[in-house]
Parts: sequence; C-alpha cells; structure tokens
Amino acid sequence: MSDRLLAIRLAPLLLLLLLAVAWLAPSVGWLRLASSNTTEADRMTQALDALPPRSTVVVGFDPDLGTYAEIRPTVRALLADLLYRQASLAIVSVTPEGRALALAELDRLQRGTVNARRILDLGFVPGAEAALVRLTRAGLPIEADGALAGVLATDGLAGAQAIVVVGGNDLGPRAWVEQVLPRVPGLPLLAVAPTILLPELRPYLATGQVDALLGTPRDGAAYRATLDVERLDRFLEPREPSRTGVAVGLVVAIGVLLAALVRRGGRSDAARTPPGPRTEAA
Amino acid sequence: MTGFFGATPADAIATWVAAAATLVVLGGLLGERRLFGWSQHLLAGLATGFLALIVITELLVPRVVAPLMADPGGRPELWLAVALVGAATGAPWLPRAVGAVPLSVAIGALAAFALGGAVVGTLLPQLAAVSVRGGEDVATTIATVAAGVITVLVLLSFVRGVPRGRLLRPAASAGRWLLLAGIGGWFGYLLFSRLILLLDRIGFLLGDWLRIGG
Repeated sequence: MSDRLLAIRLAPLLLLLLLAVAWLAPSVGWLRLASSNTTEADRMTQALDALPPRSTVVVGFDPDLGTYAEIRPTVRALLADLLYRQASLAIVSVTPEGRALALAELDRLQRGTVNARRILDLGFVPGAEAALVRLTRAGLPIEADGALAGVLATDGLAGAQAIVVVGGNDLGPRAWVEQVLPRVPGLPLLAVAPTILLPELRPYLATGQVDALLGTPRDGAAYRATLDVERLDRFLEPREPSRTGVAVGLVVAIGVLLAALVRRGGRSDAARTPPGPRTEAA
Repeated sequence: MTGFFGATPADAIATWVAAAATLVVLGGLLGERRLFGWSQHLLAGLATGFLALIVITELLVPRVVAPLMADPGGRPELWLAVALVGAATGAPWLPRAVGAVPLSVAIGALAAFALGGAVVGTLLPQLAAVSVRGGEDVATTIATVAAGVITVLVLLSFVRGVPRGRLLRPAASAGRWLLLAGIGGWFGYLLFSRLILLLDRIGFLLGDWLRIGG
C-alpha cells in the first residue's frame, strides 16, 4: 500500500478520533450553537403562545431515519413545550419510517411517565397524500377512547387547534400544506424539518402558509435556549450537540476545501504553463 | 446520547446491536466494503419487513380482515379491497391486465392528489405572493421583483439547444452563477447539519454504548 493510499485510508479514522476527543472535551463558553438571529425561534414561541389553553395539537410525525438526529433535540423540546402548555397531542404518521420513529418517541414519553390522557397515538395511516386528505374528513376510525379521541373522531383535523409537522420524508410539511391546509383553512401549521428541506419550505414561511419553521440546527438551538419546561425537562434531549465537536469538524471541513482549491489551482497553473525547452527540442 | 434506550436488558441488547451496526457503517469509511454492503442489505430488509408488519398489523387485520370476519356482508367495499390486495400480491402470476389494476389505481390516485395539491397549495399561493401589488412598501416590492428576476435568470440557465442571442447569453450566464451561489449557500448549511449527524453517532458510541462522558 502506497503512503498516499494509507493516508487516504487513515484520514477518516483520524477525523473520527478527533471528533470523539472534541465530543468528550468540555464545551468552550464562547462557542454557541444557537443562532444569534432568533427570528425563527421567536416566531415558533409566538405561534405556541397564540394557542388556546389545553389545545389539541395534531403531530404529523414523519421524519427520515437518516436525518432525524439533526432535528431530534428540537422535536423533543417542542413536544415537551406543548405538554408544558397543557396541550394534548395526537400523533400520526403517514410513512412507515415516520411510524418507526414515532413509536420510539412514544416509548420514550411513556418511560418518562407522560400523562397518558394527553397523548393519543393515531398510528399509521396508509395512502400517502390520500391519507392526509382522509385525516381532514370527519368520522376518523379512531379506536381509542377519551375526550381527545372523541373530538378528532367527530371533526377530523378541524377539531384540532394546530398542526405540528415533523418532516424529513417525502410527506413532510409541503405535503401537509398542499393537502391539508386547503381543506382545513385557518389551522396554524408549525414545522420542524432537517436542513435539506429548507429551500423547499422557506417559501411557505414567507407566504404565511407555514406559521413557524425550525429548519436548521442553529434555529433549533435558539428555540431550545429560550425554553423552560420545569419538571418536564425529563422529556428533553439528555445532552445538547457538542459545540466543540461542531467547531472542530467545521475547521477540518474548511481546511479540506481550501486544500482542494489550492491543489486545483496548482493543477490549472501547470496546465497553463507553456511547453518547456525539452518539448521544443523534441 | 440519543435517549432512545432505557435500562432493561432488551435495551442493553438493542444498544449493542445499534453500536455494532454503527461501527460497520463507519468501517465503510475505512475501506471495509463487504460488511458495509451487508449492512445496506440489512437496512433494506428491515425496512421492507417493518413496512409489511405495520401494513398487516395496523391496516389489513384491523381495518379489512376484522370487519369482514365480524360481518361478511355488511361492508361490500372491503371485498373490493381484498380483491385489489390479492391482485397486487399475485401480479407476477396473473394476466398483466389484472395485475395492472391495483397499480393503476394507486398511481392515478397519487398523481391526482399530488397534482391537485401542488396547484392549490403551492403554485397559486406562491404566484400570488410574488405578484407585485399596490400599497406595499418599497422594500417588499424590490424583494418581490428581485425574486422574479432571479427565478427567470436561473430558468434561462437551463435553456439548452436554442441559439442564444446577445441578450440571452449573459442572462443565462448570470442565472448559472446565481444558481451556483444558491447551491453554495445551501452546501454550507448541509455541511453543518451533516456534522451534527456524525457527532450524534459518535456521541451514541461514546455515551450510550461505552458510557463515557455522559
């Protein structure tokens, strides 16, 4: 194995070790994950403040397995915030992946001894876009008992005071905007989504179709920084993402990009250099 | 620390399995391709198995089989559903015309909902939002016009196979640069979010599995 090949093989290992050390290192005080621009976080808080007391919130839970870790702390914070505000949550998934993650989060909430009367598992509704339309209709086939189940079974989504969509899959906030909002106008839609969906979702935020969106890790961190859920902090993420780790990773990434640029510049210079004397002699 | 795992023996086993899978996937970075390939097959198999499981336990049994068993003649539409499921499942062995029926229904319904929703929920509201209206402040009007101009320039950069005149060529070039700038900005966001994902896996290995630094 040549030295270059060995270096290429070892570079990812070194990066992982470096990030592991950074993850273990204590956080540096002046590093902040939260965005200094708190517009999106404030918008989310204002949307939550505008909800009536003891409101019913339908949570469309369809994140993607690959990107869920990016939004997981924010999703848990938002669920804890809603529970703290005495909201009742009806959790529904229209994708199998979302259902798997919803089950994991429901299990976690139960381990944290959540008030079972304030959580309703609507399960998996098959049919993709048709499933979302079905949710807007009255007479939902809800097998559970209780006031929350009764309201939604009778009125469908019109019985709720807000929708929170946890996105990531194809059937994320965009699908809810397109299929649900035209059928249940006036219902506030709040969303948490991974960065990859940002270009798709920003226009809905600008038009007001989405009332609040936490679409980047920094916006999510800014929202979490303002949160105080007192005893419900057991539902929050046990540990915030490592700020030192992110900083070290970014420095490495920028270094790699610069090295690639320098190398490319060197190659371009070599290509522009006129043929040397040896070529002329030949 | 993901917070997914409790303190039961089953949770401990799940943590070890998840840690092994994480190490196998990270091993792909170091050149261990065979195990990495197997992990991809495992993921595809588990996803298919889970889909089948929830379709059976949350759809077919409670919403089709159980009502039919309780009252076979009371819900005739469910027999149609059974026929469609049967046709979809047996499509490889049935005549093409029969096997195509459930697929056609699924694709047709999906296209109708998606197209209708895209027009009513996205296209019309977005067009209305970028239309310049009277009574808006100057900044909003400038932003609206800029959004329209950038959209047109970027769309022009995609024009291929058409002779470009003196006006169209610089416009398409500007559109291409605007597109690259947009992708560059997005790449910065993505780099940041991917780092968070990688750190989450490292945190899982160190915190949840090895119980270091929790």
